[in-house]
Amino acid sequence: MLIPQTKNIGLPLMNLMRFKGLPILQQLHIEEQLLRTSSENWCIVNDGTNDPTIVMGVSGKPAELLEIESVLDDQVPVIRRFTGGGTVIVDHGTVFVTFICNKEAVPNLQPYPRPIMSWSSSLYSKVFQGIGDFHLRENDYVFGNHKFGGNAQSITKNRWIHHTSFLWDFNVQNMSYLKHPKRAPAYRSARSHLDFICRMKDYMPRSTFMDKTMDATETQFSLRPIQLEAIRTCTEAEFCPSSRFLTNEELEAAAVALQK
Amino acid sequence: MICRRILLKRVWNNGRRWLVPSSSLSPVPTTADYKLHFSTHIMAAFSFPQNNQFTLKIPYMENICKFSSNAVADLHTNGIVDVPLAQTGEGIAECELLKWFIQEGDEVEEFQPLCEVQSDKATIEITSRYKGRVAQVLHVPGSIVKVGETLLKMAVEDTQVPLVTLSNLENEKQPDTKSNKDFTGGVISTPAVRNLAKEHGININDVQGSGKDGRVLKEDVLKYATQEGIIKDTLVTATADLGQLLHREKSSLLESAQVSGHYEDTIVPLRGFQRTMVKTMSMAAKVPHFHYVEEIDCDALRELKASFQTNNLEPGIKFTFLPVLIKSLSMALSKYPMVNSCFNEESVEVILRGSHNIGIAMATPNGLVVPNIKNVQSLSILEIRKELSRLQQLSLDNKLSPADISGGTITLSNIGAIGGKFGAPIVNLPEVAIIAMGRIQKLPRVADDGDVYSASIMTVNIGADHRVLDGATVARFCNEWKRFIEKPELLMLHMK
Repeated sequence: MLIPQTKNIGLPLMNLMRFKGLPILQQLHIEEQLLRTSSENWCIVNDGTNDPTIVMGVSGKPAELLEIESVLDDQVPVIRRFTGGGTVIVDHGTVFVTFICNKEAVPNLQPYPRPIMSWSSSLYSKVFQGIGDFHLRENDYVFGNHKFGGNAQSITKNRWIHHTSFLWDFNVQNMSYLKHPKRAPAYRSARSHLDFICRMKDYMPRSTFMDKTMDATETQFSLRPIQLEAIRTCTEAEFCPSSRFLTNEELEAAAVALQK
Repeated sequence: MICRRILLKRVWNNGRRWLVPSSSLSPVPTTADYKLHFSTHIMAAFSFPQNNQFTLKIPYMENICKFSSNAVADLHTNGIVDVPLAQTGEGIAECELLKWFIQEGDEVEEFQPLCEVQSDKATIEITSRYKGRVAQVLHVPGSIVKVGETLLKMAVEDTQVPLVTLSNLENEKQPDTKSNKDFTGGVISTPAVRNLAKEHGININDVQGSGKDGRVLKEDVLKYATQEGIIKDTLVTATADLGQLLHREKSSLLESAQVSGHYEDTIVPLRGFQRTMVKTMSMAAKVPHFHYVEEIDCDALRELKASFQTNNLEPGIKFTFLPVLIKSLSMALSKYPMVNSCFNEESVEVILRGSHNIGIAMATPNGLVVPNIKNVQSLSILEIRKELSRLQQLSLDNKLSPADISGGTITLSNIGAIGGKFGAPIVNLPEVAIIAMGRIQKLPRVADDGDVYSASIMTVNIGADHRVLDGATVARFCNEWKRFIEKPELLMLHMK
């Protein structure tokens, strides 16, 4: 078909990898590898992850962010990821969308946190047009003043990554593993987790969200589906990702330090 | 591949990092353009049209460089530079230092990652602007560093205080590109010029130098950037009497707040051009000003304008008062060159500028700009009119070049075009005088014989640097200018 292809002429190429239920640590490893070793643009979509996992930002302090006793008792895995930002607990109800781009991939986009954040919100504005009063509020995606998507970024010399975890659905009990963070956005106004967040499933079917996100991305990039095997090349053997599980010992030490 | 051991309390990444070789550098989002304009202003201030050449140390230039956005490093004369935390973008006040990629004593290449910081949601790699050696690391991982605060000190190779040879300031063409390379393998230029090139993501070795021995000057970098389309937006500047500018990011912040329907306070950190304006206007405010007010009868000027329009041989050119005012100003400056000068505080010297580069403040949809007409002393009124049209059109289109808005020697602010009787302008440093012209109004006057008649009166207010100009000089200068405006036929006496 000539016509659908001609509309993409002139758009920068972006590789698209789609997963369903990929373990979040594996997703983070792939993302970091692509950020640091690839020179192409990537979009990664992971439709839910497997086990409930807590994912902290690069400098998150477990004692401040987690109810460590509960986490240890219930053996909830805790990951420290390579990007900044806050703490989330993810499971099969979380949808992940990640963009990894060269600095010049988006014309006129300055490679700094706020411009990238604004760019991402303009992309998702197309997805949620007319639905639920969507906008970017500080660094979160909200409907009204309820957060349903959290963002994190990493900006390197020549590239950047912006990844989002969308709360398609969540388990109320899981939220109890997370403390009220010291550093919270102003609009949270000291609300508890459950008063602060909302479920995307109340606004849009899951498949509709995925399709519309791809459509919105295709207005700026020419998407090319790629399988995971294609990137498992020699570079994987030489690259050591930094996202990792925290060990029980580390969590216990953090709990002890907090008590002192 | 380079493996680095990082001296940290905790090691987050003991993996290998790909250092992607690239000549691109993250551009600083804050417009360092105003800083640049100001710096070239200073440089041009010390040029001589004649062949006099001498080397002039300009520490004032260093001070000007410091007014700029937080991306500029402070240069110490012992070859050590303070490298500040920058490259974070607007709206970020501080970051947490996560890890160093280097340690004290390491040799560092230009653009090599130095450290990783975190702000809110983002980790950001900070790269080196210089090639040199890490002299001192000032923060440990986990510490909070304010944007603009010194991260580390580096010993850099090109450590000269910017010595400027005056002949370099005139743009001479250097056809031999090989002479651009010096013994270190790169072009000759000052650290300030190198920094400017890096801010625009330009490899300075790509820039043709027009200075002596192929030295790359600020104008060369700007010209290159404009040609390469790197500088898309107009450099803007201000004279203090015409109020605030809307910085581009500030306006977009305000727009996004309004679009989202949230009527909340918006904190707008002043960065880039606005931050520079805070500093330069603060500097200008320290200059002891005096203001001289005069009324000028513009009846003869009206008749002259009408005559020009009636006998206009070139269609499409509309005559206003301004070209005659500009030419007569130049005539008066010829007699009082002190008013067309620049003052160097450090050396307590006044440079009498040979060219009359008269800046004209223009209000455009994008804000206030002050382009200047070069060498008015050598231009006819018609040529001035055409140049004014050119600059006005470029201003409206937001396409003024750096050359258009730098190098001014005196500024005319036609605030009367908008309204008002007169203003109390603040000099546009390093100039020593600025003239605000109010609206031409029909006012009653009393003739010698006691009759009341109506005259077109324009009130002007000359703001002057009292360190350089005294009231008598300005009064006499203004009388001379007024004479030419009220009796424009006197201009013919000087016609060549």
